[in-house]
Amino acid sequence: MLSPEPSDEARRVARSAARWWVCIESGAVSEQDLARLQRWREASDAHESAWRRVSALKGRFQILPPALAMASLDRPAPGRRDMLKGLLGVAVVAPAGWWLARELPLDAWRADEATGTGERRRLTLADGSVLHINTSTAVDIDAEKRQLTLRRGEFMLRLADATPFHIRTALTDVRLDQGEINVREGSGVCRLSVLAGQAEVRPTGFAPLTLRTGQQIQLSNAGPGPITGFDPRQPGWREGVIVALNQPLGEFLRELDRYRPGILRWQPELEALRVTGSFRLDEPDQVLNLLAVSLPLRVQWRTRYWATLVPQEKSV
Amino acid sequence: MMVDLAGADVRAFETLYRDNRSWLEQWLSRRLGSAWDAADLSQDTFVRVLASPQSVADLQEPRAYLKTVGKRLLVNFYKRRSLEQAYLDALATLPADVAPSPEQRWQVLETLHALDQLLDGLPTAVRRAFLLSQLEGLGYREIAERLQVSERSVKRYMAQAYEHCLLADLC
Repeated sequence: MLSPEPSDEARRVARSAARWWVCIESGAVSEQDLARLQRWREASDAHESAWRRVSALKGRFQILPPALAMASLDRPAPGRRDMLKGLLGVAVVAPAGWWLARELPLDAWRADEATGTGERRRLTLADGSVLHINTSTAVDIDAEKRQLTLRRGEFMLRLADATPFHIRTALTDVRLDQGEINVREGSGVCRLSVLAGQAEVRPTGFAPLTLRTGQQIQLSNAGPGPITGFDPRQPGWREGVIVALNQPLGEFLRELDRYRPGILRWQPELEALRVTGSFRLDEPDQVLNLLAVSLPLRVQWRTRYWATLVPQEKSV
Repeated sequence: MMVDLAGADVRAFETLYRDNRSWLEQWLSRRLGSAWDAADLSQDTFVRVLASPQSVADLQEPRAYLKTVGKRLLVNFYKRRSLEQAYLDALATLPADVAPSPEQRWQVLETLHALDQLLDGLPTAVRRAFLLSQLEGLGYREIAERLQVSERSVKRYMAQAYEHCLLADLC
């Protein structure tokens, strides 16, 4: 039952590590600060270990569903339960606050929507169905025919009721009977992920198939791949986050690159480093800086838009 | 749990357990309103006593000691229950597409419980600032606006939270 008191030295290290993290996160960090931080981390194993334990702690929070974790951990004191609803309202609504939400007017049966790099949009269709459009996407909407045509990019469609909706891409036709689907097309590959409900997939030139909740398939000119399960964190883009769980850095950066205007390069030896965390899509440059803090790499900025990631040198 | 006891301690513990188990269960049961929970917590209490460096044979007032240990477990139990309640309430309110799958729910709850214990003892504002940062990914300025405090206060809160977690993790 006894909790050993931490030593004075342990307290000092904890305080320094805490201050360094705040320094990094507060956004006002200079090159000199980073160099000093590097020296501090290298000065003793205890420093480096404290630094990494905070990093690990942050990772534990980042894989939690934010709204649910917020409502549970920031719960009101007993007897003040009515606060919970208010808190939940904030937790659920706030992350969507940046959406350029708007209703399609009832007479706008047809619309061609396009987003730029890093832009995301949320539309409520006339029947109450909700369409989220991701970065660099073009989609044509015909609400009367209940038909969406994806020209490029990615969208997520949630139906308001069980009236089917037709989706067309270069590689396939899809009939979503009910529920919610994520559709992504690019580089000659189309990926369909059914988040809820059921979809009939008719790949051009291949036999039709059915996808159900939690199932995903990739299609190319060579036809459909196998039906697989998928990572339910994958559509995090809708909440404005990109989530990685022990993901190879190269894969992560290719994904991040979709949201970031400009040029992003990295040296091949960084490809296999592992990333864990949840990152905000609306600040991709900040994500690069965070990577530089938690992984052995540095960001070189040629211009504001041109970033190159290189391995950290052994000595500072 | 490895428990290494001398012979005298084993006999003393057996006596303690035999003489006080049903008394402790009743004492806990009055507070919990459930005989099942009381039986569980009573077992947990004895396990803690066994694992404690305090020698059972030297106990002057065994029931006072059992009450002290039992009270701490009661407090944890209530915290866990209020966490679970908030979690279930939130699950019920969340749209299905934001909620974790049934398989993940238990795992998420276990993680939440561990983090809840880790954050235990932090002032409300500090805890909230920390949660806004870690869970909602808000920057310090946004947290300051949300909590209606200065950015400098947010920095202080965050440093306090990190330090607290690092030290709590030691124990």
